[in-house]
Amino acid sequence: MNVSTAQQRRVPSQAWGTKGGGRRSSILRPGATPWLMLAPALAAAAILVLLPVLDTLWMSFHDVILYRPRSRPFAGLANYAWALTDPVFWESLRHSLVWIVCAVSLQFALGFAAALLLNRSFAWRGIARALIVVPWALPSVIIGLIWTWMLDFNLGVLNEIGVRLGLLSASIPWLAQPSTAMAGVLLAIVWQGFPFFAVTLLAGLQAIPGELYEAASIDGAGPFGKFRHITLPGLAGVMATALLLRMIWVANSLDLILVMTNGGPGTATQTLPLHAFLTAWSGGNYGHGAALSVLLTLLLLGVVVAYVWRNRA
Amino acid sequence: MKRRDMLTGATAAIATAPLARPYAQKGVTIRWWYHLDDPKATPNEFIAAFEKENPGIHIEAENIPWGGGGDYDNRLYTSIIAGNGPDTSMVKFNNLARLLEMEALSPLDKWIDAWPGKSDITADLWRLHTAPDGKRYYMPLQYVVLYLYVRLDLLAKHNLTPPTTFDEFLTCAKALTGGEQWGFGMRGGSGGHDSWMPFAFGTGARPVKGGFVSPAALAQNRYFIDLMRTHKVCPPSAPTDGFLQIVNNMKAGRTAMAVHHISTANDMANTFGDAITAVVVPRGPDRSGFATFGDGANAVYAASKNQEAAWRWISWLSTGPNNVLYNKAAGQMTVTTSGAANWTLHPKRFVDATVNSLPIAGVLPNLPQTADFTRVVWPQNTQKALLGEITPDAMMQIFEKLFFS
Repeated sequence: MNVSTAQQRRVPSQAWGTKGGGRRSSILRPGATPWLMLAPALAAAAILVLLPVLDTLWMSFHDVILYRPRSRPFAGLANYAWALTDPVFWESLRHSLVWIVCAVSLQFALGFAAALLLNRSFAWRGIARALIVVPWALPSVIIGLIWTWMLDFNLGVLNEIGVRLGLLSASIPWLAQPSTAMAGVLLAIVWQGFPFFAVTLLAGLQAIPGELYEAASIDGAGPFGKFRHITLPGLAGVMATALLLRMIWVANSLDLILVMTNGGPGTATQTLPLHAFLTAWSGGNYGHGAALSVLLTLLLLGVVVAYVWRNRA
Repeated sequence: MKRRDMLTGATAAIATAPLARPYAQKGVTIRWWYHLDDPKATPNEFIAAFEKENPGIHIEAENIPWGGGGDYDNRLYTSIIAGNGPDTSMVKFNNLARLLEMEALSPLDKWIDAWPGKSDITADLWRLHTAPDGKRYYMPLQYVVLYLYVRLDLLAKHNLTPPTTFDEFLTCAKALTGGEQWGFGMRGGSGGHDSWMPFAFGTGARPVKGGFVSPAALAQNRYFIDLMRTHKVCPPSAPTDGFLQIVNNMKAGRTAMAVHHISTANDMANTFGDAITAVVVPRGPDRSGFATFGDGANAVYAASKNQEAAWRWISWLSTGPNNVLYNKAAGQMTVTTSGAANWTLHPKRFVDATVNSLPIAGVLPNLPQTADFTRVVWPQNTQKALLGEITPDAMMQIFEKLFFS
């Protein structure tokens, strides 16, 4: 331990116990000060996050029906057994995996391309950088409605353009057939989410020292070589954090699907969070809904642990 | 003196009756939750009229987001559980069973039986507003009955008249389908159960135990699904089309017939003039039929400390001219006979189609599962049947199991 660190560690105790204040410093040890500082935030987190999580956990082991408030008998693992033996759970899980993988990878690819483009010098770059944030800034419900009508079979602009340009022989009911409904909803979330990657990766790109590129040029590196050996390693940390965060958000998100298809047609676009939401909110069965939520959390735990581990590292 | 005048007089008499006096001495505030379909509509006009007639009773109206019914219902249930529910609120049959299970409602029978306006509401409406236990918890406020919109000009090109039977309906739908036009704007998305019920229960089956899997209902449901799968008289988007789609498709001339109700009548009349009309939904060969009743009522909550004042408010809303004033904002039909006699808010042919549908009006079972059926189970399984993922019979078995297993 060097001297300055040791001095820093003494600072809190000195703040509490000055000359003749040894009594107070003996009550409040130096190690307690960080906890004292963190206490308000920890209390807020406990009330706003931990309690609801514990409540959900409690509900998942009880038979909780919203309109039967006087009866909440212990159900053991019955809610979990129901969830795991319900074919809709597995179907929703499958849809969730497609949803997460496709949405995050497409958002990432588009966002990365946009970031590389926005990192170059061109006229009106400032305006382009501002406009790209618009989809990210819009509320999901608005985005859902916009895309629902753009994809509409009868009056949608995309079908109209496609037919007029000869790209489509006839209008397609994008959101009304299982083969295209998921693609339709994915289109909306990719449009909504790619600015997050674009802005985050652009910030990462700007943090890479220009001297590295200059040195690489002197050494004879081409554009691909610079991209591979400077840009990608330089962005790796930002990429990993952004991907992990976005995976968690996309895995939990249900608003776009709710607005655009409500999980349909049939259950073709029903993901696990939507299944949990409909079970609790529409069916009034909060026990089942809580069990589904806990299972989803457990499935996401791997990603969350990876994110926390990465941040600590 | 005409009956309407008598009722108007009775309203005025009630307003000055001794019942009002306690409130004049000690003011009370009644919390009333409501939802009006038109976001621009407000209850200010009729609340001001009520408060003027009833000094001492202040109405605190809270506009609750509808969210397909789910948002409204869940806010209502949770507020009641938390002990912070309203004194009275607008309610639907969909949530009657759940509210009864919560023991949240106060029966209104003693007040209704002593209420002078009772006879101004038809026996059909009182029948529909009676709970399974024989009591009345809901005070009729507004209603619609689903009917069939028909484009007369398109039918005339084929020398056809509006269909009255299911065979005629299919003939019309086939004749009116071609190119970018479809005979029937089917609603397979959210809220579509309302326009499906006249088909499923149109030949005598009823939505009661065993009714969903009765031979008549199964046959009729196959007929309904075949409209899309076999006869292709509906747009391919039908499985997920909701309210906005069926109305806009009809207005855009993409569909020639659709099932809806009087709240869209003015819009349709403005678009097509006399070229559009409404008729009672098709009926079975024995003239049986089923027209879905779309309800809107008020209820008084058992936890309210001002139940009598709350009753006074909701009974005022359901009284002759007041109910007309209310329905100006709500855009639906008055529940009073006197109000309907001089109804000017919608063209007469649409009012006639609504009133003529009342004798065959029906509702879903009053069970706690009903809300889940309308929001999730019906659309999911109907869409699967329309897309060929399950059979029409399997769809009905799922419904029967949900309600009665």
